[in-house]
Amino acid sequence: MVADRRAEFEASLIRTAETRGQEAGAALQRASLLRDAVHRFSRNRAAATAAFAFLVLIGFVFITPMVVSASPYDINFENAYLSPSWAHPFGTDEFGRDLFVRTALGGRVSVEIGFAATIAIMFVGIVYGAISGFAGGWLDNALMRFLDALYGLPYLPFAIITLAIFGTPSFWPMVVALTVASWFTTARVMRGQIITLKENDYVRAAHALGARWYRVLFRHLLPNTLGVIIVFVFLELPGVVLGEAFLSFLGLGISPPKASWGTLAQDGYSSYQSHPYIIIVPSLAIAWLILSAFFIADGLRDALDPRTRSY
Amino acid sequence: MLKFIVRRVVWTVPVILLVILMTFVMMRQIKGNPFQVTERAVPPSIQRNLDRKYHLDKPWYIQYAYYVKGVATFDLGPSLVQRNQTVNDVIKEHFPVSLKLGLFAMIWAVLLGIPLGVFSALKQNSIFDYAAMGFVNSGYALPNFLISTLLIYFFAVKWRGVTGFPTNGFEGWHAWILPALALGHAPMTVFARIVRGSMLETLQQDYIRTAKAKGLRWRRVVGVHVLRNSMIPAVTAAAPLLGFLIAGSFIVEFIFGIPGIGRYFVNSITGRDYSVTMGITVMLSVIIIVANLVVDVLYGYLDPRTRDARA
Amino acid sequence: MALLEVDDLKTYFKTREGEVHAVDGVSFSLERGKTLGIVGESGCGKSVTALSIMGLVPGPGRVVSGSVVFDGRSMLDRKQRELEDIRGRDIGMIFQDPMTSLNPTLTIGTQITETLRRHLKLNRDAARKRATELLEEVHIPNAAGRLDDYPHRYSGGMRQRVMIAIALACNPKLLIADEPTTALDVTVQAGVLDLLRELRAEHDMAMVIITHDMGVVAETADDIVVMYAGQIVEHATTLDLFDTPEHPYTEALLAALPQLEGENVREGRLVSIPGRPPDLLAPPLACRFAPRCQYAGHDDCAGVLPALREIRPGHWVRSAHPASERAAHAVGAR
Repeated sequence: MVADRRAEFEASLIRTAETRGQEAGAALQRASLLRDAVHRFSRNRAAATAAFAFLVLIGFVFITPMVVSASPYDINFENAYLSPSWAHPFGTDEFGRDLFVRTALGGRVSVEIGFAATIAIMFVGIVYGAISGFAGGWLDNALMRFLDALYGLPYLPFAIITLAIFGTPSFWPMVVALTVASWFTTARVMRGQIITLKENDYVRAAHALGARWYRVLFRHLLPNTLGVIIVFVFLELPGVVLGEAFLSFLGLGISPPKASWGTLAQDGYSSYQSHPYIIIVPSLAIAWLILSAFFIADGLRDALDPRTRSY
Repeated sequence: MLKFIVRRVVWTVPVILLVILMTFVMMRQIKGNPFQVTERAVPPSIQRNLDRKYHLDKPWYIQYAYYVKGVATFDLGPSLVQRNQTVNDVIKEHFPVSLKLGLFAMIWAVLLGIPLGVFSALKQNSIFDYAAMGFVNSGYALPNFLISTLLIYFFAVKWRGVTGFPTNGFEGWHAWILPALALGHAPMTVFARIVRGSMLETLQQDYIRTAKAKGLRWRRVVGVHVLRNSMIPAVTAAAPLLGFLIAGSFIVEFIFGIPGIGRYFVNSITGRDYSVTMGITVMLSVIIIVANLVVDVLYGYLDPRTRDARA
Repeated sequence: MALLEVDDLKTYFKTREGEVHAVDGVSFSLERGKTLGIVGESGCGKSVTALSIMGLVPGPGRVVSGSVVFDGRSMLDRKQRELEDIRGRDIGMIFQDPMTSLNPTLTIGTQITETLRRHLKLNRDAARKRATELLEEVHIPNAAGRLDDYPHRYSGGMRQRVMIAIALACNPKLLIADEPTTALDVTVQAGVLDLLRELRAEHDMAMVIITHDMGVVAETADDIVVMYAGQIVEHATTLDLFDTPEHPYTEALLAALPQLEGENVREGRLVSIPGRPPDLLAPPLACRFAPRCQYAGHDDCAGVLPALREIRPGHWVRSAHPASERAAHAVGAR
């Protein structure tokens, strides 16, 4: 099925699992593998730059509002539509509110939603995938068939429907809406991982020593999937943040006065032909996040298994 | 091969049923009354009549059965809000527009994306490669709404004299160009990246070395041996892109004022027009499922190994 | 005049850490219809030598100096287009791994006919006919029917035969076989070697066979070149090499062959050569085998790179202590 083909994209991650699975076992070994990976990651210039950029963004988003004096809620029509200047690095919007601070605060909301949704996706995907992979047999089959069906759900419409179910869009409804149709790939990859790792000899050894299934699952299998999970976090985060931006742009986002990058963009949309910077700034912030997260994911993937690297 | 196709087609039936079921269940959770046009509550007697007319007084599984019957006969029911229209009417009116837009966008994505990927791979690490990948990567991260507004800003506002594009309104063939570009941009970047990666990997393969050792002209080696094997991942990528495209179309239709299905969807949700929402969602799902089927079959044709390997 | 003359060939690979001297001064010549065997362990540069002759050295590698003269004309200063004409038509090459050397998405028939149509300008039907004949020549059963099969329908041994068929399609003057039997199991190996022998005789073809298996080379080659760390350390006829090996490395290779007869066969241990080949990243100008040689250490021989000298007519060796001189100078083992 196409779903299988899609999994080939993530096959590079599954190959990582194979090598990890064969190399890992004792905790001691794992520690040095981690150090190895960190070392490889920091030597990858693109990835290190991306990580730095990512941290800069996070720093901007969380620290700026605490430091800068301009308030994001001060409405001051005299200052409306100011171009970027020293006092207002990103200019002001139609209500005279400082965009610099608003972008930072909006970033907080976007990033928080993003991380929350990503963690939710990871959780659902991991649980589903782990159960399916670990159980095997008819349960695995059934779960995977069901998952194949779920792939037929269009992402955005379902997110919108979910939001409608909740009524008013606030933090948690948004998180749920974004998670609802995004966890499928994670589940599939996790299942693939678990299945590959299950075949490893050290798992058989653990069984032979009398380990119960939960010990095998939690002590042996799941820790070896950590690397892949971390990569996936950075792969899913951009999608989720972009999804939130789309929903907000369509008017279904967080209600004011709280703002996210998406709602800021929506604000900017009304006047983009005369004051394009209002929509440009939050969009660039989103792009910054997406790009840095993507290159970090790339770098992590290489760091964990340099053999899958494409030159 | 035929057996493979038949099996896949047969599988889509339960999948579609499942999707309808899930959509149905979710829709029922949305509170609201489609018949409530004004602020005043609807008189109970009228409400009862309306409920009975639209089967809303029956238990959910009966309603589901009615609905499935409807879908099978291509009758998606009446619009609950626009009394004189059926859902089919709505779809007939708006869907072709979206379809055309999507098609143009994909054509653009393929026309620009694939050659970019191919030449970047052939001239790996050259200036062309870096420039192309820089363009592609940044394009990938910039949100749809920014690209759309920037396109309008530059081509329709600032350089209006040169290009003659309209800023809104949707007349004439001119009007399709900017939206298609905007919608197709993200898929284009995906194709470019995938094709490049795939080609680089193929170029490393042993059978390319054999082809060269046979003294085949480089033209043929690339055109026949490399391209054929590299296109497979690109084809696989096409199906998930559909979800991308659908989500993106909501935004693009909104910005460019295109009377497509995306805009109508959002309106129907806020208006609590359940049947329209259901109808559109189900239709989109069916499209996605069919697209996946087509890609699967295409993949089977392109990669002979899967044809025989398929159980 | 020899069919192939290689003179002081040097092929280096640029890496981030420096330049790897994969082939560092290799010279040999090959007459029409004769077979040359190149033996050595993994990484000694035998494959890169072959690729250098064909002009197929991948990416970061390039031929830095030396000459390769095939059929009277230099190969190294030819344009790609000219090389493309020679490859497949005058020189055929088969590779080690038959499982990955064929394009999985094209039929076997296509992969054979494309060579025929490219070099011999045959039309489709003539090419198909010839392709069927070629498959029959390499003993593929039901050749006509198998022409439209995909590679995954063939077994490893059969795929290697197909590779041979493709390489021989245009009747080349030279066949380069890079580890043709390494990836196959022993019985299949024998079949492939027999086939090569048969075809060689029929087409009067010269052959270079590259392998790390002394048994294979003993069976098929007229002359043998032993390579170590990018250089030739011994060059002699097959008979001469096996009869009186001179270089300590060659001796060790022969000693490492498991014996079925002889004294102490059941109680003895398998002989292996201790140590590993040197790192070819800017190798020192010294004897490269010295760290593993059992005759080094008594004098300064380790610090000097010995030249390749003709110790007997037709037998060259690159060693300060070749076997026939050891007895005379009483150099004992360390």
